[in-house]
Amino acid sequence: MHPYALQGKTILVTGASSGLGRQIAISCSRMGARLVVTGRDGTRLADTVAALTGDAHRSHVADLTVASEREALVDEAAQVDGVVHAAGVQRLAPAKLMSERILRSVLEINLVAPMMLTQRLLHQNAVATGGSIIFLSSTAAMSGTPGLSPYSASKAALHGFMRSLAVEVAKRRMRVNCIVPSAVETPMWDPGHLEAQRARHPLGLGTPDDIANAAIFLLSDASRWITGTELVMDGGIVLVS
Amino acid sequence: MSFNPFTLEGRRVLVTGASSGIGRQIAIHCAKMGATVVLTGRNAARLEETRSQLADAEHLVIVADLVEPDAIEQVAGLAGPVDGVVHVAGIAKLVPFRMISPKHLDEVLGVNLRAPLLLTRALLARRAIQPGGSIVFIGSVASEIGPVATAAYAASKAGLLGAVRALAQEVAKQRIRANVVAPGYVRTPLVEELGTAGGKMNELFDLAPLGLGEPEDVANAVGFLLSEASRWMTRTLFVVDGGFTVRLSV
Repeated sequence: MHPYALQGKTILVTGASSGLGRQIAISCSRMGARLVVTGRDGTRLADTVAALTGDAHRSHVADLTVASEREALVDEAAQVDGVVHAAGVQRLAPAKLMSERILRSVLEINLVAPMMLTQRLLHQNAVATGGSIIFLSSTAAMSGTPGLSPYSASKAALHGFMRSLAVEVAKRRMRVNCIVPSAVETPMWDPGHLEAQRARHPLGLGTPDDIANAAIFLLSDASRWITGTELVMDGGIVLVS
Repeated sequence: MSFNPFTLEGRRVLVTGASSGIGRQIAIHCAKMGATVVLTGRNAARLEETRSQLADAEHLVIVADLVEPDAIEQVAGLAGPVDGVVHVAGIAKLVPFRMISPKHLDEVLGVNLRAPLLLTRALLARRAIQPGGSIVFIGSVASEIGPVATAAYAASKAGLLGAVRALAQEVAKQRIRANVVAPGYVRTPLVEELGTAGGKMNELFDLAPLGLGEPEDVANAVGFLLSEASRWMTRTLFVVDGGFTVRLSV
């Protein structure tokens, strides 16, 4: 067995009903993992489950902004070796026009939900020793992206949480990292935005497969000494006029 | 299992500094993942020792000191065409800043920065790096944290990142990728020598939340960067350090 295999590992993936979360779940199953997938939409979550390789996978419909639903998910997950926080939203909101409602909603989904889900998992000792926790971030966390300030702020805050957490859980050899992609073709982004981004990427836009491969690496024992890292995957993004 | 985006089957990978430490482990890893390896280093006996640890395949050993221009041309000529290049050869010496001399700077920068850049140039000039190929430079978290008495070493490793940012743009058209892996303290002869040279190494190892790393930990990350799994990664600094730099704002 090579060091990137996920045989014998149970992985919890949030936001698994579409986009990156869905592909991460599918790819992890193909590497031998047992999945616990969660998302808000039961029908689309069932589609993801149907696309998984192997059996013994579990799915649990939940809105992770609701504390009781997080609790129910933690009970369902029981014991996992890896967690991938892929659930997230993006709202176009130039700062001058940003409403408090939009800001709070983005922070609830992208920041508070993954932080508190992690808190509950750790409190219930639901993450195994040597486990790996991954937050799906974005290059918007580190670079100025007009019109995306609530999204950028939520992702930058995740990096702050990731670093503190990495130091706190190292005693149990648990690892915590961010995957930091730029524009990947997923339903979260509008086609106009993706087209504008294409010119900035020497290797073109990314695919969900690329991000899923990074997740496999960070979940596997191959990365047992990697923690507190931002794995930037951005096709070599450059500035263009 | 047939699905394995991390495979190096059918690839040819050139590894410098393959006679010990991280370079040796990277050669072993590449062979295990299916690659044919071209090993280079200065010490013939230790290179053969690495060669003897590789799974069966047509691996090639080239004894060379990459500080010599002729040696760079020789390696570039014999190695190619390759799908991956891993620049591991490097030296470290503890010298307080007020003691750095032209000779010391030339030596450290020559081995750690000049040689890998010129070897890459020589390979590119021969079109000896295949489209879709991956170039990995072994940097160091020293470039981020600047340990005492390592100015030349830290500068050489920081220099690699600057070069990679430019190089990666220039080779992207051929879908060639270039990245820097920056390890923290790893159990290698190089780090052991620093300990015997008076460095308080144990105190440093304890600073990383996950402690001292093993060469395998770096080899696994390099393997990821050589494989198709990282097809969309280029121009990056990939920190592999057991959390050493988490508590610094690097």
